[in-house]
Amino acid sequence: MKHPNQATLALHAGGDLGAVAGWRARRHVARCAECREEIARFEQCRQLLPSLDDAGEAHWSRLAAEMKANIRLGLAAGECVRGEEPVGARGMWSLARAGVALASVVVLLAAGLMLERPSPTVARETGVVLQATADGVQVRQGEQSLGLMHSGTSNDAVTYQVGAQGSVEARYVDAETGYVTVNTVNVE
Amino acid sequence: MSNKWRVAWLAALGAGAALAQDVPLDGRININLGKDSPVALAGMSTGDSHSSSRGAALVLDLHMSLALRNTGTGRIHGVALRVVSQEVTVGGKGSVSIPSLNIGPGESFPVRIDMQLMRPTQVAGGPLVDVNLDGVLFEDLSCYGQDRLNSCRTMTAWEMEARRDREHFKRVLAQGGPQGLRQAMIESLGRQSARPQLDVRVQRGPAVTSAALGPVHEEQFAFLQFPDSPVEPLQGWAQVAGNEARAPRIEVRNRSGASIKYVELGWLVSDTGGRQYLAASLPAADPALYLPAGKTARVEQDTALRFTRAGQPVGIQGATGFVSRVQFADGKVWVPSRADLDRFSLARVLPASAEEQRLDDIYLKRGLEALERELGKY
Repeated sequence: MKHPNQATLALHAGGDLGAVAGWRARRHVARCAECREEIARFEQCRQLLPSLDDAGEAHWSRLAAEMKANIRLGLAAGECVRGEEPVGARGMWSLARAGVALASVVVLLAAGLMLERPSPTVARETGVVLQATADGVQVRQGEQSLGLMHSGTSNDAVTYQVGAQGSVEARYVDAETGYVTVNTVNVE
Repeated sequence: MSNKWRVAWLAALGAGAALAQDVPLDGRININLGKDSPVALAGMSTGDSHSSSRGAALVLDLHMSLALRNTGTGRIHGVALRVVSQEVTVGGKGSVSIPSLNIGPGESFPVRIDMQLMRPTQVAGGPLVDVNLDGVLFEDLSCYGQDRLNSCRTMTAWEMEARRDREHFKRVLAQGGPQGLRQAMIESLGRQSARPQLDVRVQRGPAVTSAALGPVHEEQFAFLQFPDSPVEPLQGWAQVAGNEARAPRIEVRNRSGASIKYVELGWLVSDTGGRQYLAASLPAADPALYLPAGKTARVEQDTALRFTRAGQPVGIQGATGFVSRVQFADGKVWVPSRADLDRFSLARVLPASAEEQRLDDIYLKRGLEALERELGKY
């Protein structure tokens, strides 16, 4: 047997169901002892509710005043129970607190300086880098590099020149050919 | 282990060993001199050039020698070859130039190219290296070539310096005789060995902020004024932080009566002890530079230079600039005279010209008489 839900039974107990729903509920309850008991409990509750109304309005301000008074009483009792602290310990505690406060201020100032101070604009090792190496001139970017070497010539005999537009030049006299050779690597 | 797995394992080992082996570069180098070139390839040797794998990269060791023959009618005074690893990417280009040549029609001369190249292995096939003729400079200062790297202008400037310095030493020989020339050579070699050099690293690309080098400040340029220079530097600054200098910018005025399409300034820096070094050249060219007669323009480069010596950072204190090269709209090139360089004792700071370097080498290896004969050829 399918029972009506709790809400339907509660509404039936109060006589608040519609005509069709009420007829269905009455028909079921006439045959179901379990639901009759449930409806009886709802009716008892309904009879109790009016008596609860007689408790009157709660005095919230009075309750708040009582709670504050209890808190003060608790604090006062705590002061009475706590023994006298040695003066030195209290002083050290104060010093520690002052130290922590001072450190906080220093950290705050340092952070402020770091954030506000104008930092130099310099290039990190990203992008294209040109430089003279032990045996040549090189341009590199990421995994790719190109170097022109001056093999067979001591590094002391090589003259390097840098172009700010992105070039490095190595000039030397080739020991085999006797010609001045200029190796240049370019960014663009 | 079954036989099948053993074979697979050995095959994998073999493949790994094969990858790690050096592979000759024959056929992977493309030489392009152009159809109507005044030089022809008379011979080529790739020697022990090879490639090898290193992780995800391919390392190319190129040691080649070209023999070029002058097939034109004029004397060749300079050649520039453009060496390209990958045309489409930044940072894969270089050049090998031979200034101070004196090659008559029909004569041959060698050019050596030693390079090391590292590139990702994923890159598709084709030549690994292209060698193109970028420029050939003749005795009459005419120039042939693709000139993609402005080799004609550079070789013309080298040629102007060569003529200047040959004239200087010929004059010394005429006035002081062989002993005067010997003394001049000894002084030249002494200057070069005593010249202070810095290791300079050039960085291009976006700037990022770093506090590692200390506070940045604007360093104002001092200028050396050459009386006969067609360009006068007016004012300039660079940002300096510790051993790094970046973003130099200099305002210049064209005081000649002709339009100028290229200006190059020399940039000297001083360390904390006051010692001067040549930091870099600061070029500006058309179209970034528009400098008609009497007008002013700005030479600037968005670059960062970091200076070290023997691996230690060298703090920068001062900046000095001077005009080192000018090219007019008609292609003529101006370089400072020996008198200009002597006036400010720049010879102590600047490297010798390519020609002076060559003459020094002749004196050292072949002696004074050979040097006299060499000067007599011009």
